[in-house]
Amino acid sequence: MLSRVAENLYWMARYLERAEDLGRFINSATLLLLDLPLGTRFGWDILLQITGEAQRFQQHYGQPTEKAIMRFLIADSRNPSSLLSCVHQARENCRTFRDLLPGEFWERINSLFLYVQDGLEKENIAEDRRARLDFLENVIARRHALVGLLVGSMSQNSAYQFIKLGRNIERADMGSRIVDVVSAVIPPEDQGVRRTVYQSLWVGVLRAMSALEMYRQYVGVQVRSARAVEFLLRDSKCPRSVRSCLADMELALAYLPNAGIPAEALRRTRRRLDQLQLKELTPAVLHEYLDQVQKDLSMLHHTIENAYFRAREKNDPYPHPSLQRIALQA
Amino acid sequence: MQKILYAYPEGSSYDELLTAAGKPRPVARALLEHFEKLGPEALRQRQETADTAIRAMGITFTVYSEAGNIDRSWPFDIVPRTLPARQWRQIEAGLRQRLKALNHFIDDIYNEQQVLDDNVFPREVLEGSRNFRAACRGVHPRFGAWANICGSDLVRDADGTVYVLEDNLRVPSGVSYMLENRAIMKRLFPEIFAMCSILPVDDYPAQLASMLAELSPRPSDKPVIAVLTPGIYNSAYFEHSYLAQQMGAYLAEGSDFLVDSEDRVFLRTISGLLQVDVIYRRVDDDFLDPEVFRKDSVIGLSGLMRAWKRGTVAIANAPGTGVADDKVVYAFVPEFIRYYLKEEPILPNVPTYLCMREADREYVLAHLDELVVKPANESGGYGMLIGPRASVEERQRFAERIREDPRNYIAQPTLSLSTAPTLIGDHLEPRHLDLRPFILQAKDSYVTTGGLTRVAMNAGSLVVNSSQGGGSKDTWIVEEDA
Repeated sequence: MLSRVAENLYWMARYLERAEDLGRFINSATLLLLDLPLGTRFGWDILLQITGEAQRFQQHYGQPTEKAIMRFLIADSRNPSSLLSCVHQARENCRTFRDLLPGEFWERINSLFLYVQDGLEKENIAEDRRARLDFLENVIARRHALVGLLVGSMSQNSAYQFIKLGRNIERADMGSRIVDVVSAVIPPEDQGVRRTVYQSLWVGVLRAMSALEMYRQYVGVQVRSARAVEFLLRDSKCPRSVRSCLADMELALAYLPNAGIPAEALRRTRRRLDQLQLKELTPAVLHEYLDQVQKDLSMLHHTIENAYFRAREKNDPYPHPSLQRIALQA
Repeated sequence: MQKILYAYPEGSSYDELLTAAGKPRPVARALLEHFEKLGPEALRQRQETADTAIRAMGITFTVYSEAGNIDRSWPFDIVPRTLPARQWRQIEAGLRQRLKALNHFIDDIYNEQQVLDDNVFPREVLEGSRNFRAACRGVHPRFGAWANICGSDLVRDADGTVYVLEDNLRVPSGVSYMLENRAIMKRLFPEIFAMCSILPVDDYPAQLASMLAELSPRPSDKPVIAVLTPGIYNSAYFEHSYLAQQMGAYLAEGSDFLVDSEDRVFLRTISGLLQVDVIYRRVDDDFLDPEVFRKDSVIGLSGLMRAWKRGTVAIANAPGTGVADDKVVYAFVPEFIRYYLKEEPILPNVPTYLCMREADREYVLAHLDELVVKPANESGGYGMLIGPRASVEERQRFAERIREDPRNYIAQPTLSLSTAPTLIGDHLEPRHLDLRPFILQAKDSYVTTGGLTRVAMNAGSLVVNSSQGGGSKDTWIVEEDA
């Protein structure tokens, strides 16, 4: 398989995962804010922190109002991580390998893009919360249909493994970010009058990760900070936990050639996760640790990039891999 | 015949399916009788089924517009165009002969240039050629074959004579649509295929793959073949991807390759570097190698020309082949056939006036209202003047251009182009068409069975290009009953 094709598959999966995660965060935050007492120190800008786009937001917008943030995160093509940009990029990547995937995949990803484009034109997603909830739920459902199509009808070949790598590294990245940002807002001891507030924040996070029901089944009805963190990072059954994402990537690498260096980076990340003492964790140490997880994931990405997307001779300058948007008559 | 052919007027053009008296030609009889039995409603439904299938199969072409590039579904008419097998064999022999002579010419031009010394081809035409590549001098591609894939456009005039209108020798496209058209027709009308003997077309990808393999400089059972595409925004990307898939070849862009210090070409894959033997390029010469041609090209690969000249990789079509894809050179092809092959041309050229010749030029300028004027180096039907349909101002503008740059213009009489019944709504009307067969040449040569029939969907129009409202039909070479 060509390196470029592998890279496009990997990024398509990352973009689709990012779009879905973004939809989940926004919907969850919308529901959550309705429950919080007025004057609580928690605002829409938490979404900017989670997506790591606060700085870009400030370049283009003024006050971090709901309307501005929603427009920026969902509909702004200047933001490369906006829902619109992610879906657009995923579709453009998909054009280059239509024949590697089941036939309906292209039609569905194309229709997802058209749905997002039309929805953003027709509805006032930035202000109309009801329309936004519906719209994002539909985006999430359509993304699930895409994943389902692959799981149900695609051979588990190299192409599939690159999709798996992309999906899981993005998911792990988003998961660790959300735990990091939310932990920074909430003190570890669930005490005092604000306890219910904090509890509903973690409920919101679990819901955003589609993990609330699983948490209740396996951990308990009461949602506590430390346990939620443990569940989201280390639960081996929850498919959105960082641990599960790493395990999935390990399986994908086992299938691929030249996996030595990425697999080593992966094992290092997993070992660190296993050794973490979550019980006596202070917020500062947790933050430091999650920072390390982010670094590890970024390193893992680079090892994958070097092993598969950058086959080259020594001293060979690799041209920029971005798609070449040149239409020439041939 | 009344029901579906009721609106079929008698025209002055030759009709491929019907005689001048309006009777089906022998090879079309079974087909038209069957259509008659089906009736207008069933035909309309099958046309809809065809359109749906084309959308679902993702058979598209790209139209460039200011609003961005649009993927359009391939326009297809369910009424096939028929040709008797006996007539086809004659055409096929003519096409092979033509490509053979053209390859002799290209090989000669880049090496000894005997054809110039013998005054068969004027030196000044070569000097004025935009597609002659000095960088290709002295190269000897295998079997002397520079143009390995050629798409020649054939038209039929009112008296039934089939002419070669032009030879596309650079990166001709359309063959994937020929294959898909047949796939759709087999799905739509399996019963007709059982009724008459329609020759198959689907061995083309296998023929193309083995022709490309013959070009490989490394002896090996399975040479590495890559299709070089400009990328997803190219109008023919669908075809590039289709052919690569059918041949089991890599579909690669310029940045997927690298040329090493020993002038070998490699592909970057997930298992490391893979040496490439043959490149089927769908990128024009200009953009092929920024080291040699246009420096700003980002769709080619640096060093490809070095590798090709050193013989570590084969390129089809060879760089420089475009020198023969020139409407002035076209006018000389019958001469080339006599000069190189010592044979008489089997297929005639359309009579062509070369504006560089003074007498021809005067005639052209005096008869602009009767002639079709074409620039020597354009394709896709762009930059043409159709005299009888042009306004006085347009003709004046063209007269001006011809005087300024006579080398770049040729003129031909306006041919009437044959027609075939085409489904318009629920009945058949005549529409003008042409035919593009594809010819392969390496050690041996091969011609597709039929080719891509392109049809002008607007009544009376002669423009068949898909970028300008043209459609297509399946082409049936039919064996007549003994």
